[in-house]
Amino acid sequence: MYDLIFFLVLLLLGYVFGQRAEKSHFRSIIEREKQLRDILVFSERRIPDEDKLDGTLVCGSVVISVDFFKRFVAGLRSLVGGRVSAYESLLERARREAILRMKEEARRTGAKSVWNTRLETASIYKGAQQSIGAVEVLAYGTAVKPR
Amino acid sequence: MAEYENPEIPEGINVSPTHPRKDFALLVTGISALIIVAVLALSLLAGQLARHVPFEQERALAESLGRWLPQPPDLPVDQRRQHYLQTLTERLTGAMELPPNMPITVHYSSSKTVNAMATLGGHIVVYQGLIDTLPSENALAMILAHEIAHVRHRDPVVAMGRGFAVMLALSSLAGIGDGVLQQWLTGVGMLPILSFSRSQEEEADSTALQAVLDLYGHVGDAAAFFEALARRQSMPKSPTMFNTHPDVEQRIARIRDFSARHVNPDQAPAIPLPEFMKAT
Repeated sequence: MYDLIFFLVLLLLGYVFGQRAEKSHFRSIIEREKQLRDILVFSERRIPDEDKLDGTLVCGSVVISVDFFKRFVAGLRSLVGGRVSAYESLLERARREAILRMKEEARRTGAKSVWNTRLETASIYKGAQQSIGAVEVLAYGTAVKPR
Repeated sequence: MAEYENPEIPEGINVSPTHPRKDFALLVTGISALIIVAVLALSLLAGQLARHVPFEQERALAESLGRWLPQPPDLPVDQRRQHYLQTLTERLTGAMELPPNMPITVHYSSSKTVNAMATLGGHIVVYQGLIDTLPSENALAMILAHEIAHVRHRDPVVAMGRGFAVMLALSSLAGIGDGVLQQWLTGVGMLPILSFSRSQEEEADSTALQAVLDLYGHVGDAAAFFEALARRQSMPKSPTMFNTHPDVEQRIARIRDFSARHVNPDQAPAIPLPEFMKAT
């Protein structure tokens, strides 16, 4: 009985705090994306007019934890299959946040664009049975500015 | 780099537009419905299989779990009562044509509980509290026949099979260790944990009525216990669905219906209970 109460409290805490964190994170992401819109991001490897530019490596990484509620819903989802919407929004936040941090670094170097941008995803605590787990997304690319 | 621009991208492209609470509710209700259906099917199947367990096996199992049965009575009067119950039971089993390898053991308990029960291995427990509510031997015979009918229909072992299947399924689903199962098995020792379904109770009633009719030639006083129960029941009734024993009124009605169909013109009067059976 106590196990069940404990579990339900965890679920409620996960839901309330997880949803609050997600909402405010999305607000902040949208805000900062507006501020950094003038920095262009490309996945193209070949930089036009390369010989007239200076390039530096810039990267941004973020780790976001899964909350108890999301993990429980995803666990149920794994029984029946389908889109794990609980994790979709989590990864969306992580990707956008990583790109934003990369852009912030590019701005500090004075660059106007980032080329050859790549994203890497890693799961932390992978395989550990009872842990909640977290996801890391790393964005990196070549920031360029006129020589 | 004037030929490139960074347009504003609409939100929500990469995320399914379901609300997390709706997703959660759908998953929880769907999966628990599935589990309930699966466990029910499993328990019914286990009940069917348990019915085929030989009675000798059931007795051996009851033997190993039987610590809960009341101690043999010490007082001479209790021994006399126990003997009387056993004799009456043997007369009934003769009338009911039980298979030869299905001996019934009656245990008398001087406790004031108003109850009688049948459990694994053909053990029947009768409490003094119940005997005190009965007006005659015929009424007591009806109760005993009802419990014997449970044993004959293999209801205790079916109930145990069902309970075991449900426990096994739930504990393996929830990932609880052997501890809970162990606990349940010891709980079977306290056998009131076994409960019979409404249809099992009704079948036991009709078998018992037939047995009483065969033994005494009439079913007078068969409803006596339930009538006494109905008088005592002043508390609000729980709906029939949630009660494993069919509603008392219904049982009285069914017994009366049966006795109306088997009217005996020269019906012998009810045999009174011997004096020593009454509470002192």
